[in-house]
Amino acid sequence: MHPASCILHPASFILHPASFILRPCRATLRPVIRLEGVRKRYPGADTDVLRGLDLTIDSHDFVSIVGRSGSGKTTLLNLIGGLDTAYEGRVEVDGRNLRSFGDSEVSTLRNRTVGHVFQAYHLLDHLTCRENVSIASLFARGEKRRDAAWVRRRAEELLATVGLDGGGGRRPSTLSGGERQRVALARALFHQPAILLCDEPTGNLDLETGREIVGLLTELHRNGDMTIIAATHDEMIAAAGAQVLRLHDGRFGDPKRGVE
Amino acid sequence: MIGRGWLRTVTADLFRHWRHFAAASVGIILGVAALTFFLALGFKVRELLLVEIFPADHLEVAPKSADIDLFALRLDLGRDALDASVLTDLASIEGVDAVYPKMRLTVPALASGGDSIFGSGLQTEIVADGIDPMLVADELGGAFREVGGERATTPCSRDEQCGEDFYCDGARSFSGGMCRPYIPVLVSPYVVELYNGAFRRAYGLPKINPDSLMGLAFEMDFGASTFRSSPLPPIRERMRLAGVSDKAIPLGVTLPLGEVRRLNMALDGPESGERYHSAVIEIRSKQSAPGVVDAIEAMGLEVRDRGARRAAFATAVIMVVLALVGVVLIVVAAAHIMHVFYLVVMVRRREIGLLRAVGARRGDIHFLLVAEAAAVGMVAGMIGLATAVAAGVAADAFAASRVPDFPFKPESFFAFSPLLLAAVLTLAVVACVIGALPPAFRSASGDPSEALAGR
Repeated sequence: MHPASCILHPASFILHPASFILRPCRATLRPVIRLEGVRKRYPGADTDVLRGLDLTIDSHDFVSIVGRSGSGKTTLLNLIGGLDTAYEGRVEVDGRNLRSFGDSEVSTLRNRTVGHVFQAYHLLDHLTCRENVSIASLFARGEKRRDAAWVRRRAEELLATVGLDGGGGRRPSTLSGGERQRVALARALFHQPAILLCDEPTGNLDLETGREIVGLLTELHRNGDMTIIAATHDEMIAAAGAQVLRLHDGRFGDPKRGVE
Repeated sequence: MIGRGWLRTVTADLFRHWRHFAAASVGIILGVAALTFFLALGFKVRELLLVEIFPADHLEVAPKSADIDLFALRLDLGRDALDASVLTDLASIEGVDAVYPKMRLTVPALASGGDSIFGSGLQTEIVADGIDPMLVADELGGAFREVGGERATTPCSRDEQCGEDFYCDGARSFSGGMCRPYIPVLVSPYVVELYNGAFRRAYGLPKINPDSLMGLAFEMDFGASTFRSSPLPPIRERMRLAGVSDKAIPLGVTLPLGEVRRLNMALDGPESGERYHSAVIEIRSKQSAPGVVDAIEAMGLEVRDRGARRAAFATAVIMVVLALVGVVLIVVAAAHIMHVFYLVVMVRRREIGLLRAVGARRGDIHFLLVAEAAAVGMVAGMIGLATAVAAGVAADAFAASRVPDFPFKPESFFAFSPLLLAAVLTLAVVACVIGALPPAFRSASGDPSEALAGR
């Protein structure tokens, strides 16, 4: 449900204290991500990186997960995004338990429902920016399969949205770090995902460029109807989130504490 | 799933890692080239043996020999001829379509002529046999036929007065001649090959185009010999070459059966016109040959042209051995492809992780890598085929210019059939795909998060 659809129902609005923007009220939201007792230990490790996490994130939320390096932020995003399937507990996305998904279903989830933005961008240097943005179209199925002209147009639109209008033919190796992250963001948005997972999206960027990326995310959240979860230790990103979750040694801590 | 995007991706990946794939392709190219070269050579040799040298759709049956060597002599204690009852028994064997008796000329003969080709007349002792014209009707039509019923009594003084298939016998005699038919004869391709390959060199004679020999006329004196004369006066006949056929006697000339029977009876007694020295069995199919051979041997006869079977078997064995060399090369190349693909997927681990992060299923990754392997196999295979064909052409050119002529020397020693090329190309592609399967499965086995993190 798009936030704008609530405007005709003033009672359904609250003033969000963190972002000072009009947000849909809780009554119109629904849980889109739910974690119950999630534990994760990497092979060979002595301790769990996630220690029985419980979490509910509603649709249209902008949640910042903050914590030190090694606190489990990336692992948490990987579990939510279906990139990591080895864990204990229950992870639900859009009401469905990921553990019940086969390879085909979890791939469809990654293709349609979840968009990933990585700290290291993970762009393919042998492809153009346009091809990088539209790479998810190679694996689209059903109604998401589109012809080449549509795919090209969509990629150009998204590049324009992230401020790289006309740069579709360039190779990632010719771009600055900020531009690469914009391309990565455009790639994550290709299939209009319901959930956008950003893992340290400004981690490799300077302050000014990071601010631009945060601005883009905020604008996307304001104008779109997607749930954004950003893992960061960047105060600026944390502040952009409507909800801040502190992750410390695999557990959620006091959300009122500042960013470490 | 296959679309332009996939095709672009596969092509881009191939170009990106071309050094790896080029190294991996060397084995496939060599294997395909060797396999194709040897198989094409083997098929051609087999074709030469079975079709031209030892035709396998006919078997020649003869009395079983029981020779005993006694000092300088070899005594033949076995039956030396077939009679009409044996021919009837042969015709009743399951799988036999027809029986064509052959009769050897049992008196000596001298052949003379050839002025128009050799510049001067040649005279030579010659052996002859007779076959049923029906045996060669398919290949020669009516050119080789019995002429006994055509003996004309038209008086003449010149050959032109007698018509195309007749000559004027005794034209120079005082009383004038009589028109008589030419007796059509056949020669074996062995004779032509022997002449062109060896005989002509020894005597400095020109090489002969077999087609130009058609219609060559010469005389034969039956019952005449430079060694020993027949007690009866010889019979002179004028012969005309009607064709070249592998059904003809290997060294000598072959006449219509009725003519040989007539000459034998006239010069060697009536009983020699009823004795056949062998018979050609036309078999229904090559598959029925073993059963026919068994039945013939059960009758106390022997099949003479077992050389065909031995030659075919020997060729098949040699071909299999040489082909195995090519197959082993391809198998080794497939193992090399596997190692290269392990390396490639290791280098592309993060890339594959990303593809899975944006929605690629494991099957998509498998397909991507297998498609790349198939493309490598296809390109390498085609280069290998081109190499084999080029090597074949070079070998043929070398053989044509440097290797002396020999009987049945073919224009090409290779049979590069489209089916062979397609089969070897398919093998190359399949080998590459099989080689790429383990790395493909390995590459997509873990979670994308592991690949992206480089774990």
